[in-house]
Amino acid sequence: MAESNDVIKPVLTKKLDEFFSGLAKAFRFVKRFFQEVWFPPYEFREILRQCYEIGYRSLPLISLTGFIIGIVFTNQSRPSLAEFGAASWLPALISIAVVRALGPLVTALIASGKVGSSIGAEIGSMNVTEQIDAMEVSAINPFKYLVITRTLAATFMIPVLVMYTDFVALMGSFLSVNANELVSMSTFFVQVFEAISFLDIFSSVIKSLIFGFTIGIVGCYKGYNSSRGTEGVGQAANSAVVMSMFLIFVEELLIMQIVNAIRYA
Amino acid sequence: MRNDNKKSVIVGVFVLVGIIIFIAGILTMGGQQKKFVKSIRLNAVFDDIGGLQTGNNVWFSGVKIGTVRKINFYGESQVEIVMSVENEAQEYIRKDSKATIGSDGLIGNKIIVIYGGTTQAPPVQDGDRLIAVMPLDTDKMMSTLQENNKNLVTITENLKVLTTKIAEGKGMVGAVMTDSLLAESFKNTMSAFERAAVRSNVVISDINKITTNLYKEGTLIYDLTNDKETYQNLKSSVEGLQATIENTKELSDGLKVTMDKLNDSDNALGLMLNDAEFAEKLKSTMINTDSATMNLNKGLEALEYTWPFRRGFKRMEKDNN
Repeated sequence: MAESNDVIKPVLTKKLDEFFSGLAKAFRFVKRFFQEVWFPPYEFREILRQCYEIGYRSLPLISLTGFIIGIVFTNQSRPSLAEFGAASWLPALISIAVVRALGPLVTALIASGKVGSSIGAEIGSMNVTEQIDAMEVSAINPFKYLVITRTLAATFMIPVLVMYTDFVALMGSFLSVNANELVSMSTFFVQVFEAISFLDIFSSVIKSLIFGFTIGIVGCYKGYNSSRGTEGVGQAANSAVVMSMFLIFVEELLIMQIVNAIRYA
Repeated sequence: MRNDNKKSVIVGVFVLVGIIIFIAGILTMGGQQKKFVKSIRLNAVFDDIGGLQTGNNVWFSGVKIGTVRKINFYGESQVEIVMSVENEAQEYIRKDSKATIGSDGLIGNKIIVIYGGTTQAPPVQDGDRLIAVMPLDTDKMMSTLQENNKNLVTITENLKVLTTKIAEGKGMVGAVMTDSLLAESFKNTMSAFERAAVRSNVVISDINKITTNLYKEGTLIYDLTNDKETYQNLKSSVEGLQATIENTKELSDGLKVTMDKLNDSDNALGLMLNDAEFAEKLKSTMINTDSATMNLNKGLEALEYTWPFRRGFKRMEKDNN
């Protein structure tokens, strides 16, 4: 009789119960974010520091990646278009690809690798070393100081990074197009902006805001709920990257569907 | 603290540059796609728009002047296109302009092409409907091509029959191609033609020389074509000649009337000329007159020597001498 009291009977199966309780925990975490983000203290100094870390410190990596993507994508697309005698359509193709999908997606993936893992590892190690508990004892709201600041910084910095990525990728593409098709910069950018619409730019911004929020909140959640022990830090960093990347792809798919529904409405 | 300030400045610059890129992109795109310019709405109704989409460009004289705003079904199965056209182009598009659906390059997007229009018609106004001209239907083109292909097959078959006959020496051409005598004759004929052509050239050259000489200064033709005075003289001469001809005509008409009258026997001369009986009578009268005259002469001679008239005759003889 005493034995049956110690073992908790699963509602569905043990794994399904874990999955759904994890989902509920994540939902409560996001809900807490939206509940607390509106009220002071706002921790502007910490937000600024995180903007610096997430935005500015990611710029070299993002720029290099964007530039390479611009060149590589142009060079890879050229033979297919040239087969139809449509190599002059390269700027339009690159523009649509970069603004609509590649820019936000690549930036978000790079940021989730760099920023998501660092947030997960940082908060995870603070959790392991009980610094979060210490903050609570010191009357500092650790959720506000650690989670909201990082999530907001990621949410606002990713769109800015996407703008840089788009610009640098288009410049890389221009170098390739200029070298091969002898197209001037003005002609290239005329064709680039001819191909895209306001909807493309705004959907790109909205998408990158959502990606930024995902990277920040997932990193914080994983770090905040990491298991105690040094292994938990690595696990939090790793799962923050994997989970945010997975969610980014899912979000990309959903946003694309919504935008296309608006575009062809 | 100083480090925090530095980070703030860096973040500020970083964000500002990102926003500048964003705004520059928006403005460039908006300016290029003419999103911020004032525009008017025009529409056209097509039977088939061939995959035209909202946002496709509107061209006038090869210049992009707007975009397709709305595509609606209209009537039973037609499609109404609502276009947004920039104000600057309004004065160049006339009410009788036409709209058709074209393509931006061989594999490019569909576009609306506005063309035509006369200056007699006033410029279009907001909400006007343009005359829609249906574009070329590729299916119809293909069916026409198919028809052409069939014709081509028939033509080549006929050509094959002809060339076979020629190769076998049948017909005129075949005979020329295969019969050496006929070919020689044909060759001679052609040589004769060639010689005739050479002679014709010589003749034409001579005629050319003659005409050149005729047209030299001082010649009549040159004067006629270039000298107004000579022309006027000639004109007045011709007018005089014309008057003479008219007078001659009147004269000849009179003569004709006279001759007609002479041919008739209802007048004295006509009777004399045409009536044989009268002529016979006249002849006998003349003979009688002749004999009477002779008798009269004899009587007069007898009177000359007769007493009461002898003296008078002598006086007359004396006066005559």
